[in-house]
Amino acid sequence: MPTIRFLLAGGEELAVEALNGRSLMETALENSVPGIVAECNGSAACATCHVVLPDQIMSALGPISEHENDMLDFAEAPREAGSRLSCQIKVSDILDNVAVRIPSA
Amino acid sequence: MAEAVKVVDDVTFEDLLANPYPVFKRVRDLGPVVKVEAANIMMVTRFDDIMAIERDPETFSSVNPQSLLNTVIGPNLMRKDGADHARERAAIDPSLRPGVVKRCWAEPMQAICADVISRIEHKGEAELFEDLAAPIAARALCDILGIDGVDWPTMVLWSQSLIDGSGNYSHNPEIARKAKEAARGVESAVNRMLPHHRDNPNASMLSSMLQAGQTTEQIYANIKVAIGGGLNEPRDSILTLILGLLQNPDQLARIRAEPSLWGQAFEEAVRWISPIGMYPRRLTRDVEISGTLVREGEQVGLCVGAANHDDRRFSDPEKFDVFREKKSHLAFGAGSHFCAGTWVSRALVSQIAVPMVFERLRNLRLKAPELVRVRGWVFRGPTHMPVVWDA
Repeated sequence: MPTIRFLLAGGEELAVEALNGRSLMETALENSVPGIVAECNGSAACATCHVVLPDQIMSALGPISEHENDMLDFAEAPREAGSRLSCQIKVSDILDNVAVRIPSA
Repeated sequence: MAEAVKVVDDVTFEDLLANPYPVFKRVRDLGPVVKVEAANIMMVTRFDDIMAIERDPETFSSVNPQSLLNTVIGPNLMRKDGADHARERAAIDPSLRPGVVKRCWAEPMQAICADVISRIEHKGEAELFEDLAAPIAARALCDILGIDGVDWPTMVLWSQSLIDGSGNYSHNPEIARKAKEAARGVESAVNRMLPHHRDNPNASMLSSMLQAGQTTEQIYANIKVAIGGGLNEPRDSILTLILGLLQNPDQLARIRAEPSLWGQAFEEAVRWISPIGMYPRRLTRDVEISGTLVREGEQVGLCVGAANHDDRRFSDPEKFDVFREKKSHLAFGAGSHFCAGTWVSRALVSQIAVPMVFERLRNLRLKAPELVRVRGWVFRGPTHMPVVWDA
């Protein structure tokens, strides 16, 4: 069970135990992580589950789909190099102890 | 112990059409699930309940083979779940995602709005439903679908006929006939356009569906969904946003001084008067909704219009307030059926049409506030809005 460290927009850190195979968005919702709204519940349609990941995790996760890539340009908080939609990321051991930042809009 | 569903039987259908919000408030305060006899449906009206339901599509299914929508337009993505829905949704998304809207649709939508406004600009007065919002919404939809050669009044007629047919629970033969005629009209327009899109792949929805390998039956049905469900929402939200701002000139002044606020103004307009007020889900098992038991096979109406006025979430919900505390709303629904046209409507209404209206129709004002008509509950919006300006 990897531990995910959510860095909240206000600066605090919320560390949660996550289940492999769940999405990062589901993990955030189950732990009431503020800032993850996820209106479309994982369909990559609403861009309200935006997170920012460290560079080394970005490369480990592999390429972003064309659809997600397009959505990320329109998330409320400006896109950054490490921006992803958390609904499109499956929790696995590579996320253990990784800082997942919720960008402020 | 689970509570039984409470019943409201002293509300008329006309009450709902005239103004559903007082009914919604009463129902919301009465219980999480309330049967409203006049509408013959169990209403779910609280924000948190609807959000939770939309996160559980296995229990609250969109699949309903008996639905009138399926009868009128054929099996379509709105009445499917899971992988079947995802495939058909993925076939239309390439035409509707925000980057495509910006790259491919913003310019033609700008041209449509400019043309529609040019036709009325010199007159100094207009009725904005007929003279502005309906033609803009219909013509923009034609472009995005990839249908040319159909004029906007025909699109409006098709859209309304398909909507009426899908809600024809009394089996009125005239409504059924009109819906069938609209369906045939759409199919023949699609047949006429398909060879062009086959030979010239492009960003339109017809082209996207062809590129995704959708069958002709799937294309017919989902184009009908897009016509039934993609015209009145932008039309109504254009009018609602204009109405909210004309009634609140102080807010209009702040937005005009800071145009980055247009997006926020649009979100408030669709929260305030949601173009789609209710849609159904069917239960696949017995379940308690916040303590009220609903049985397998029953249908509940998710009243997002009511949820958007839930005073547990929004303070002074009846008020149009662009500057209220920022919170997500349910005007576009939630879950996997989250409105596919969200990004088109955001661009068309809040970035193009309404800013252009206030830019070009100087000193725009309601001709007389008492002449404005707002109507409907499943679909709601201004139906008559005479305005004047300095020509």
